[in-house]
Amino acid sequence: MKRYSIGLIFTLMGVTGTASADNLIPGDLQNYIAYGAIIIMLLLIVIAMLVLLRAFKVITMVILKSQGYTKAEIEAEMHPPKKEKKPKGEVWNKLLSLRPLAEEKELLIAHDYDGIQELDNPIPGWFMYLFYATIIFAGGYLLNYHVFHTGQLQYDEYKTEMAQADIAKKLYLSKAANQVDENTVKLVNDPAVISAGQAIFIQNCKPCHGEHAEGNVGPNLTDDYWLHGGKINDLFKTIKYGVLAKGMPTWEKQLSPKQIADVANYVKSLHGTNPAGAKEPQGTKEAPANDQLVAIK
Amino acid sequence: MQPEKFYYDNKIVRNFGIATVIWGIIGMTVGLIIAIQLYAPGMNMNNQYTTYGRIRPLHTNAVIFAFVGNAIFMGVYYSLQRLLKARMYSDWLSKIHFWGWQLIIVSAVITLPLGFTTSHEYAELEWPIDIAITLIWVVFGVNMFGTIFKRRERHLYVAIWFYIATFVTIAVLHIVNSMELPISAFKSYYIYAGVQDALVQWWYGHNAVAFFLTTPYLGMMYYFLPKMANRPIYSYKLSILHFWALIFIYIWAGPHHLLYTTLPGWAQSLGIAFSIMLIAPSWGGMINGLLTLRGAWDKVRDDVVLKFMVVGLTAYGMATFEGPMLSLKQVNGFAHFSDWIIAHVHVGALGWNGFLTFAILYWVIPRIYKTELFSKKLSAFHFWIGTLGILFYAIPMYWAGFTQSLMLKEFTPEGMLKYPNFLETTLQILPMHMMRSAGGAMYLLGVIVMAYNLARTMMQGSLVANEAAQAMPLAPANTVVKEHSWHRTLERKPIQLMIAALVVILVGTFVELMPTLTIKSNIPTIASVKSYTPLELQGRDLYIREGCSNCHSQTVRPFRSETERYGEYSKAGEFVYDHPFLWGSKRTGPDLAREGQKYGNAWHYNHLMDPRLMSPGSIMPNYDWLISQKLDTTTTRSKINAMRTLGVPYALGYEDKANADLDKQAKGISDNLATDHIKVKSNKEIIAIIAYLQRLGVDIKANKTNNK
Repeated sequence: MKRYSIGLIFTLMGVTGTASADNLIPGDLQNYIAYGAIIIMLLLIVIAMLVLLRAFKVITMVILKSQGYTKAEIEAEMHPPKKEKKPKGEVWNKLLSLRPLAEEKELLIAHDYDGIQELDNPIPGWFMYLFYATIIFAGGYLLNYHVFHTGQLQYDEYKTEMAQADIAKKLYLSKAANQVDENTVKLVNDPAVISAGQAIFIQNCKPCHGEHAEGNVGPNLTDDYWLHGGKINDLFKTIKYGVLAKGMPTWEKQLSPKQIADVANYVKSLHGTNPAGAKEPQGTKEAPANDQLVAIK
Repeated sequence: MQPEKFYYDNKIVRNFGIATVIWGIIGMTVGLIIAIQLYAPGMNMNNQYTTYGRIRPLHTNAVIFAFVGNAIFMGVYYSLQRLLKARMYSDWLSKIHFWGWQLIIVSAVITLPLGFTTSHEYAELEWPIDIAITLIWVVFGVNMFGTIFKRRERHLYVAIWFYIATFVTIAVLHIVNSMELPISAFKSYYIYAGVQDALVQWWYGHNAVAFFLTTPYLGMMYYFLPKMANRPIYSYKLSILHFWALIFIYIWAGPHHLLYTTLPGWAQSLGIAFSIMLIAPSWGGMINGLLTLRGAWDKVRDDVVLKFMVVGLTAYGMATFEGPMLSLKQVNGFAHFSDWIIAHVHVGALGWNGFLTFAILYWVIPRIYKTELFSKKLSAFHFWIGTLGILFYAIPMYWAGFTQSLMLKEFTPEGMLKYPNFLETTLQILPMHMMRSAGGAMYLLGVIVMAYNLARTMMQGSLVANEAAQAMPLAPANTVVKEHSWHRTLERKPIQLMIAALVVILVGTFVELMPTLTIKSNIPTIASVKSYTPLELQGRDLYIREGCSNCHSQTVRPFRSETERYGEYSKAGEFVYDHPFLWGSKRTGPDLAREGQKYGNAWHYNHLMDPRLMSPGSIMPNYDWLISQKLDTTTTRSKINAMRTLGVPYALGYEDKANADLDKQAKGISDNLATDHIKVKSNKEIIAIIAYLQRLGVDIKANKTNNK
């Protein structure tokens, strides 16, 4: 059994070893495998020790028996009488630096308030250490932030946080292919895009534009009339930056460029659906042909 | 010398005891109602007087000042007489104190639902009630010191040090935090604005916890625990150290309620450093209490009163360790504004204040009625349902706090907020809020059972209104031998003790408040920040009346997760005309500091009428009465005048033109709403509140555009 387990360890180590060499497995995963291997290794060592212990016991018994010990004698040899235990609570009392209850009478202050007496126990040492430690921490804290300026106060912390986030974001976006903006957005009628756009619309736009974009607080989005342009690029821009004066919020911070493109396409797909309860036209009329051209381009 | 005969006044103790139980049940019931409103907004019965924003202050005031307040007076009036071997100084003062305090509470129960509020947390009551509180507090002080002066006990026991510190500090806190300029019978403006107002408020709020919920209870613990367990106090030296350390350090810690706000960095750091130093002095009380039980732990097994005490002390220990940890800015940035804080305060309130109060009631009432407790079984039931109630309350709230804060701070790899819609995080924690209200209901049930048990106890016994006692009179002061320590000497001198306590608490007060209140450079001004228009000012007062700040903060902290969600972080200069500040302390809904111009007027109109129209699933109540109620513009003149007195730059004589400007702006908004087919007269309250909401955070955006 032991040979088998040792074999397993080597296999595991081999796996991690090759992984790091080939760099096939991402760094995080490698770490996890290594942690797992270490834990399994430690467990195996524990098991091996238990087995060894058992083996020693058996050997001792066999040897004793061969020397002619009786069963009772062997038993006595294997389990020597335990040392007498210290009275319960003594360790506890030491830890808390408490004096035994029996000595309490010496500590009573010769005075009482409505029958309440007080003991003249010293303040426990550990309590004072705790107090000193917090005072040192507090002093260190103030020195760190206000004298040596080694710690960052909130506005510097913020700068750091934003800078790190910016790096991470740029790194991600340089790899990811969803960098669409108002100039590059394309009109598509891919059903996947339209249904993704619909989900976003229902979640975010419905309260103001109505479930079928018929208009409510916001304008009707299904007719020929547009307040801020009806081309896909215009829609993208309106959604992204909002029109604060008209109550249209900016969605830049809430929707990714891909999501904005999806919802813009969904809105375009609704053109001419003529939903029930449509709001009256607002803005200027734009010939739908205009847009078709863009789409063909 | 002959021993003197005298009588303890038990009737006043009994009265405060009954008031404790009644107000406790009322306060906790209101708490349960608002807890349910957080997942069933209709629980306000569509009634403006019972909305969360108006009765959350009623809950906090009722449990702090009515339940705990009456319990303090019960405990003090019982223990003070016995520790001093004297009857209370004046039965009349006792009576005025009792009835005056109940009247103050009744006035709170009436005015808070009506929307008369200063908006300062735990100090919401308007100026006439503030004056009444001051007077009654003085009555209490005179009565206490009168008793101390005629005492038959030379030295003051540790419990009384705590009572004296409580008296003097609460007086200072209340007066400084009630500096208001009245403009009518039930409306006033704080003389402080913005950052300064926030600092004063949280210096007060934090130390109301310290000196109303902590020090008097420590004093009571020092009397009742050794009595209940029949054991001596563990360490007199520890009493001295932790008393002085506690009152000195506690007063500094207020700014930890304002971390990552626009409060100057040095004040924030002081708040954190002193909060950490507070651990040991706070624990001093718990340790001295628990070690007093040494050799009496076998009694704890059978005696429900001691069980309450042990759980109470343990809850105190946990809350006073958690508090300093929450003060560390890294923890605070995560926990502040979340349900974690609600869990934290309830461990303290339900565990420490509640359980100690119950223990004292169960112990005192049978004694002054010369009988046994009616039912031990019921009291054991109370203990277990109460303990379970605390767990069922606290655990879901910790869970809710962690969940929501994690969600609010999560970003996608694209660098966008994972949950840009605040409401999504709210809906996620509704199940936890339901569980929390179940926990609260269990706790309340326990209190009702206790009320029954105590009532039956009173019925089976009869009150010993005047309990006979005797003690030797004090020898003249000049015959007293010299003391062996300075503190023993101080314990004989109540006035000196009070002055010492006062000096100790004033140190931190001055160091933190004075520079912020007086040095201009601490609050950098911003040129583009202008005073509110008359309509916005009226709208702001409606915002205060409806208690919006109980759920919505108005301060964006410098975190990526907040600037992405709300906009630029807040600057101190933005708040210079805010009398009072409205930063809030809990985000049940999103922050509103940058709400202005984010949505159209029509959106706000619909949202206030029924929030679920614009935000499906929202737990905000309907505010449809704002549409039907007419805005009271007769107050505009006095409001403008008052603001000018407080330093807001309205031109002289503007008060005459203010209402014309108000009408003009209101007309503009109602015309704008008309374009969206919303017909509403321009003289309605909703117009004013929309005007205010649309102004929030706009000035600083204007600043940005100008600089471009």
